[in-house]
Amino acid sequence: MNGRNHGRSEMKHTAVSRLSGCSALVCVTLAMSPANAQDASLIDAAKKEGTVTIYTSTDAAQAQALLDAFTAKYGIKIAYNDVGTNGAYNQVISESAAGQVTADVVWTSAMDLQMTLVKDGYAVPFKSVEAGNIPSWANYQDTLYATTIEPIGMIYNTTALKEDRIPKTRADLIKFLQENQAELKGKVATFDPEKSGTGFLHHTNDARQTSNFWDLAKALGADGVKTYSSSGSMKETVVSGENVLAINIIGSYALDWVKETPNLGVAFGSDYTAAFSRLALISKGAPHPNAAKLFVDFTLSKEGQEALASGGLPSVREDVTSGLNIKTLNEKVGGGLKPIAVDEGLLEYMDPAKRVQFFNDWKAAIAG
Amino acid sequence: MATSHHSAAMLADAAIVDLPVPPHTARPAGDAPLFRNIAIGILALTVLAPVGLIVFQSFLSAPFFSPRAVLSLDAYAYIINDPTFYKALGTTTLFAFGMVAVAVPLGGLLAFLITRTDIRFKRLLEVLVLVPMFISSIVLAFGYTVSVGPTGFLSLAVRDLIGVVPWNIYSLAGMIAIAGLSHVPHVYLYVSSAMRNLPSDLEEAARTVGANIWRVSLDVTLPMVLPSLVFAASLNVLLGFETFGIPLVLGDPNGIMVLTTYIYKLTTLFGTPTYQLMAVVAMVLVLITLPLVWMQRRLLRNARRYAALGGKGSRVSSLKLGRSGQVIALSIIGLWLFVSVVLPIGGITVRAFVDAWGEGVNLVERLTFSNFYGMLQVPSLVRGMINTVLLSVVGGALAVGIYLLIGLAGHRNRGFSNTVLDYIVLLPRALPGLVVGLAFFWVFLFVPILTPLRPTLVSLFVAYVVVGLSYGLRLLQGTLIQVSPELEESARTTGATIGRTWWDVVIPIVRPGLAGAWALIMIIFLREYATGVYLMGAGTEVIGSLMVSLLTTGAMNTIAALALISIILTAAGLALALRLGARIHD
Amino acid sequence: MTELIVNNVQKWLGGLQILKGASFTAERGSIVALLGASGSGKTTLLRCIAGLEQPEIGRIVIGDKTVLDGERKIGLPPEQRNIGLVFQSYALWPHRNVRDNVGYGLKLRGVPQAEIASRVQAILDRLGLGHLAERYPSQLSGGQQQRVAICRALVYEPRVLLLDEPLSNLDAKLREEARYWIRKLILDLEICAILVTHDQSEALAAADNILLLQDGRIVQQGTPQDIYSNPNSFYSADFLGANNIVKGRIQKRSGRSTVIAGNGWSLNGTVREANGLGDSDEARAVIRVEQISVSDSPAPEGIEMHLDDSIYLGDKWEYRLRRGDFAAKAHGPRQMPSGKVWARIPAESVWVFAAAAPK
Repeated sequence: MNGRNHGRSEMKHTAVSRLSGCSALVCVTLAMSPANAQDASLIDAAKKEGTVTIYTSTDAAQAQALLDAFTAKYGIKIAYNDVGTNGAYNQVISESAAGQVTADVVWTSAMDLQMTLVKDGYAVPFKSVEAGNIPSWANYQDTLYATTIEPIGMIYNTTALKEDRIPKTRADLIKFLQENQAELKGKVATFDPEKSGTGFLHHTNDARQTSNFWDLAKALGADGVKTYSSSGSMKETVVSGENVLAINIIGSYALDWVKETPNLGVAFGSDYTAAFSRLALISKGAPHPNAAKLFVDFTLSKEGQEALASGGLPSVREDVTSGLNIKTLNEKVGGGLKPIAVDEGLLEYMDPAKRVQFFNDWKAAIAG
Repeated sequence: MATSHHSAAMLADAAIVDLPVPPHTARPAGDAPLFRNIAIGILALTVLAPVGLIVFQSFLSAPFFSPRAVLSLDAYAYIINDPTFYKALGTTTLFAFGMVAVAVPLGGLLAFLITRTDIRFKRLLEVLVLVPMFISSIVLAFGYTVSVGPTGFLSLAVRDLIGVVPWNIYSLAGMIAIAGLSHVPHVYLYVSSAMRNLPSDLEEAARTVGANIWRVSLDVTLPMVLPSLVFAASLNVLLGFETFGIPLVLGDPNGIMVLTTYIYKLTTLFGTPTYQLMAVVAMVLVLITLPLVWMQRRLLRNARRYAALGGKGSRVSSLKLGRSGQVIALSIIGLWLFVSVVLPIGGITVRAFVDAWGEGVNLVERLTFSNFYGMLQVPSLVRGMINTVLLSVVGGALAVGIYLLIGLAGHRNRGFSNTVLDYIVLLPRALPGLVVGLAFFWVFLFVPILTPLRPTLVSLFVAYVVVGLSYGLRLLQGTLIQVSPELEESARTTGATIGRTWWDVVIPIVRPGLAGAWALIMIIFLREYATGVYLMGAGTEVIGSLMVSLLTTGAMNTIAALALISIILTAAGLALALRLGARIHD
Repeated sequence: MTELIVNNVQKWLGGLQILKGASFTAERGSIVALLGASGSGKTTLLRCIAGLEQPEIGRIVIGDKTVLDGERKIGLPPEQRNIGLVFQSYALWPHRNVRDNVGYGLKLRGVPQAEIASRVQAILDRLGLGHLAERYPSQLSGGQQQRVAICRALVYEPRVLLLDEPLSNLDAKLREEARYWIRKLILDLEICAILVTHDQSEALAAADNILLLQDGRIVQQGTPQDIYSNPNSFYSADFLGANNIVKGRIQKRSGRSTVIAGNGWSLNGTVREANGLGDSDEARAVIRVEQISVSDSPAPEGIEMHLDDSIYLGDKWEYRLRRGDFAAKAHGPRQMPSGKVWARIPAESVWVFAAAAPK
């Protein structure tokens, strides 16, 4: 029930803008090194610990391949706690206060909450042997690692909207919303930023990243947009045709949904597709610190990333062949992939005054 | 509540407050005061620890365990100045009273038809009318979306027929209608037991002085069951204030918010969860609930005046409906059952076996078992099912044992501890399951001797026992109170201690009732969803909370499959309950 | 004037026949008692008259209205029968005060408010309840509740007043008073009343006519004196009075006169078995306790018996007598020493019946 917040970030500091001129993706490719050898003593110590406890917001179904591969390789059991973004945050701070730290690895999509945990001292630094194989924006001070790259896009009902009508760019989208008001009235959905941390991240990111976000919000308002607190409700309403279009949804889920749902389509902006990441950290006082390190290493390794990508969570590595990786994903969304950087900019909207200001602006814009 | 609340519960409610307490009577020797006080004391601790934590949290500026936390009224100030809070409060009030306006007349009518008339299929109806009560409101809400949502299969059929869908379940009115219809059993149980317990000679007396059937119903039956109607109404207002699943699913699209979903929003509104604000709203719910509970107690006390003077209750002559009366009555009940049972369960069933639905989709073409197959591939979901069954079946049995001990502690208890018991039982009822679960999470985390139990099902079990307390205890008390005092007194005069009397006389006599109570509590535990959200972890997943958690990532296929499994388990539980002779009716 | 006709009323409950053809009539200004052991069907018969039970067969006429006719499929509901019923439990409506309980029947009959008030007050005054009009039933004593119940049933002047064990919830002293004033009240009001009771003294003292029920049948009916002194069956003889029962065998017989004898005794008696008795038949004799007189000196026509004990009862003594397997109780004014005594038992008071009730 707790919204899985996906954090929010200040876009000024995205990897893309810092690496202006050279594509972030290309740079990463250049920085790639051959497979790193894992330290044998770490493996031994981890095996002695025998188990690793993970607090996460990722459905077991999507992570199962990763978990199975890890256990198969090292014989270390995984206690996998899918407790949601808020659940993970709540349990980590509560357990720490009680001196009962249980989580070894905290791995959630709430980028802002993860960064808050790091800033508040709930994480310990750990230099992953794989650090060189992921983009630099995906590593925050060797403490917080981006493990996936998940595009933000839109889903539509293929019975109601044929594929050729789906707008390709932000500008097209705004125009489409404005020009088809009769058809779309009350049938467009998006996240409610007040009730969903994910939605908050997506919307605020757009507001920073694009110049026409508020035009989009007004166009949504004019169409009588309906706002939801969860991906599930939005997907279900688009599947059923109750809504025909949902905007700023989690594209990695959507790419999976369309495989099993015949009347659902997914689309990404070719000029601009933001992407968030699931971030992993090792908690301070982790009962199984070595197993935790080994797990994070494994998650970032080619093998681990292959497993994640096969479960529908695109890889931050370019050398991954199953599913999507950061490069193929960028191609898939039309070349406009803009990852949200893992940096302190994520904390900007933790300031209540800024939050409230955004909520007020948002509500005013979508009031129609 | 729940459950399965009911005649037994009603009796027990009455029993608790009706015991005449003579001023300063010394407790008779051998009344097991030690056992009573210890049992009630442990219960008080179990209930008051989490509740106290919430009260404490509401007066802090940060999470109570945070070094930054200081005593402060800021949280109250924020809530008091938040216009959204008042909007949610207003909506909740409207929702709760609207629900009562739907549920009470219909529940009263149903109770009248089933207990007082010769309506056909009576035995079947007695069971069927209870079914909506056993489905968790979140499952109900999903089911309704698929059947009568804007693109539900029934909505589309109606639209094909008349051109428009004449209803909107995402409106406040739609939510009220759905909640009202699904709470009819709660009214039915109280009113029907009152009607059954109403001595028939009171009605016969009215007929012999010249009143016809309808006159009797109006002049004698109605006033006599009025306390139970008012009681049921106040209970439903209470339940209305706590409802979470229906507003969560149906109120979301149009931004209709009630206090429980307002609390839910507070977990994300400020980025990090604001426990102090959540605690304040929980306090508001308690403050709203307490006067209602107080009123209920008053009502039951006054009801003593209405207690029949002697009289035979056995010979109830039923009113003849006649052919057209039968048709009308059965149509009303049939329509209600269609709306409150067939539509949601049908919706869930359909959804569980298709991978797409709605506008322009031929459901037959989309039939698939993949939803179930996919679910079985995920260990945590499979574990969730096993845990849910374990918690319901074994936990339910243990809970009956615990409720029995508490029930005995309060059985014919005239001491101060009984008043304590009475209030303690009602406290958890006032709090949303989500908040109770969170508080228990903290209790198990911060109380050193309890910490080893936190990652086990025991922590969930304890929370479930407390959440199910008011329902389960009333169930047991209702059973206990049926043992006539003379049977116990004769055992005592023969030389048995109070313990022996309970063991040799009371428990053997109530044993059939215990089996039934077990099955009903099993159902209550099966459908629970909010309590486990914060408590469950790896290895302790439960179906209901998994559904809530899956909703955020959009695994609707899995949710539907889980919901159907939970309905099937509930049906099995209900069948078992009936098999064991649960006194769903007395 | 006949107010109530009950004709061949038969009622089944499931496969069990509870009433096997009850017939009787009742007159205005008289009380008919339905007397019988529990399970005899007396309450069912009363409820059939009231319309609370529907007999399958039979006819009931109240006043000039046929309220039940099995053949013509008439079965009026209770409210259309113009009866008053006083329940064993009184069945006072706890949510109404005394005045409203009593006035309800009048209200239903559309009597104007003012008249209701005066009539209710009048009947309450008459039964000494005038000052209790505002009280609720739970605030009344048992005797007061009973009188309120009677007021409620009488106030609208029903054709027939039905009373279901109205005295059984009162203590002994109140009960004796009540059966006197209830009888007086009914006679004064000149209404027809049917009284159901299992208490013979209540029936004997209050009724003009007693119907004795056994197993769903009226086995005997008559005036109290008649039914007490002329029983037509062993059941009737045994049900009323305080009795000595003795088993023996018929020795001699001439018409109604007979001799019954057992081990070491014989008695002259009168055959009361409706179908008569044969020589050497097993038989039972019923002798009312008050019909045996005992003296400690030899008396003509007295049989010699052994007195085991004298028991003091306050107003009299009870003697325990024995001769062979014949044991008997008798009463007398004084204590007698144990030993040989003589008992006089008139032949017309030794009622001889067959040993087992004929089937």
